[in-house]
Amino acid sequence: MMDIATLHSIFTVLVFVGFIGLVVWLFVLKRKPDFEEQANLPFADDQKPKQQQKQESDHE
Amino acid sequence: MSQTKSLNVDYNYTVVRLFAVTTVMWGIVGMGLGVLLAAQLYWPALNFDTAWFTYSRLRPLHTNAVIFAFGTSALFATSYYVVQRTCQVRLFAEKLAMFTFIGWQAVIIAAVITLPMGIGNSSKEYAELEWPIDILIAVVWVSYAVVFFGTLVKRNTSHIYVANWFYGGFIITVAALHIVNSMAVPVSFTKSYSVYAGAVDAMVQWWYGHNAVGFLLTAGFLGMMYYFVPKQAGRPVYSYRLSVVHFWALIALYIWAGSHHLHYTALPDWTQSVGMVMSVILFVPSWGGMINGIMTLSGAWHKLKTDPILRFLIVSLSFYGMSTFEGPMMAIKSVNALSHYTDWTVGHVHSGALGWVAMVSIGAIYHLIPNIYNQGRMYSIKLINTHFWLHTIGVVLYIVAMWISGIMQGMMWRAVNTDGTLTYSFVQSLEASYPFYLMRFIGGCFVVTGMLVMAYNVVKTIRAKDGALEPVAEAA
Repeated sequence: MMDIATLHSIFTVLVFVGFIGLVVWLFVLKRKPDFEEQANLPFADDQKPKQQQKQESDHE
Repeated sequence: MSQTKSLNVDYNYTVVRLFAVTTVMWGIVGMGLGVLLAAQLYWPALNFDTAWFTYSRLRPLHTNAVIFAFGTSALFATSYYVVQRTCQVRLFAEKLAMFTFIGWQAVIIAAVITLPMGIGNSSKEYAELEWPIDILIAVVWVSYAVVFFGTLVKRNTSHIYVANWFYGGFIITVAALHIVNSMAVPVSFTKSYSVYAGAVDAMVQWWYGHNAVGFLLTAGFLGMMYYFVPKQAGRPVYSYRLSVVHFWALIALYIWAGSHHLHYTALPDWTQSVGMVMSVILFVPSWGGMINGIMTLSGAWHKLKTDPILRFLIVSLSFYGMSTFEGPMMAIKSVNALSHYTDWTVGHVHSGALGWVAMVSIGAIYHLIPNIYNQGRMYSIKLINTHFWLHTIGVVLYIVAMWISGIMQGMMWRAVNTDGTLTYSFVQSLEASYPFYLMRFIGGCFVVTGMLVMAYNVVKTIRAKDGALEPVAEAA
């Protein structure tokens, strides 16, 4: 029989592995340009095109 | 982001406007109440010997007003604004969104009536409201979740921007915290008893209490930070990757920290130690997030010189960094032995509440108001700068007073003579704190004056002719 402490220990290990997995996914597997596009979402609906272009030239 | 889209999505700004204006109004009420309480601690006669004007009844009204009326209205306003603009879509279930506004204001008005009457569960800090109001809160909150997540579902962008992750985490967790902690057996319309008892009740309360700090006062306002700091600075967040790690680390760790409020109590020793360890680890994601916010300005530091709104936002992050260093330190048992029950705790809370939460909200509202009222800028940039200095001076006076008073109290309470008797009586420590209570009162006056300046500026901006206020020219 599995007691509550074992279940908690398994859960803790799973959360830890999940977190490491997240870090690996972010920094190793995922491509940088995807994040650049996402980081620019606050500016994506700007109604002032001039500011927008200036924005982009700041970031390559 | 190859081509520039000049989108003209018809956003719902009505609810945003209502919440933005009530944020300012409740800010003045809540902080004004704080100043009154600070004055009562210095001049006790100010309770005028009336029951409903006593410190014990007004204090929960102050905390409810600043957290749930001021802070949460700011979160409603900004989350409805940010979710629409970053998803490029109009709000989902707009009538329900309007209901969240009316329902939430009803909750606040019910608090304003019942708390001074002495109705409420005073043993649960930040959860004092009686059960009928608790049910209304739960209904409003679930509606809020439906509106917010419904908007995310119908979004026109492929990705969900990180600010919405923080807002979403805050909405879900606050629902769970509120519903679990408010479980009670009603005995009449105005009286109920918690379903939990003894140490379990205390643990549930502080699981709620500390995660109200972690998810409402931190995650919610970090959502604000991740939209308004990049937007005001005119550049994307320093590292999007770091923001994802920040989110998951914060969510995973915060939920465990609550027991640090119950050091040296009847709570099992191991539970206290877990709370302490988790609180100390929390320092890491907290500072990661702060650095991510501040570094967004790298290469554009000069903007701080000319833009008081950006200054509000960046200084709020500095206070966030300071409080999230102080918090883990105070959660260490041996430090807590000195700090607990003293004014140091009060100072810590206010460096978080007035420094971080209020400053990031004020900055966000200054950014928001012109945008939702078709103006290029606020009525007066100079007055924003005046507000910034009034607020900063007020907060610094407040927390310095509480640091000195609190550490002094802790030292005096633990001092013992060689024969083992206490060196000081309680009244002696109170006398020593007395001057600092005046200093706190003065600090509070600065903060409230700043809020009044803000209200004037907001009213002038709203009443200006459509589009009459030209945007400030960008410095090259």
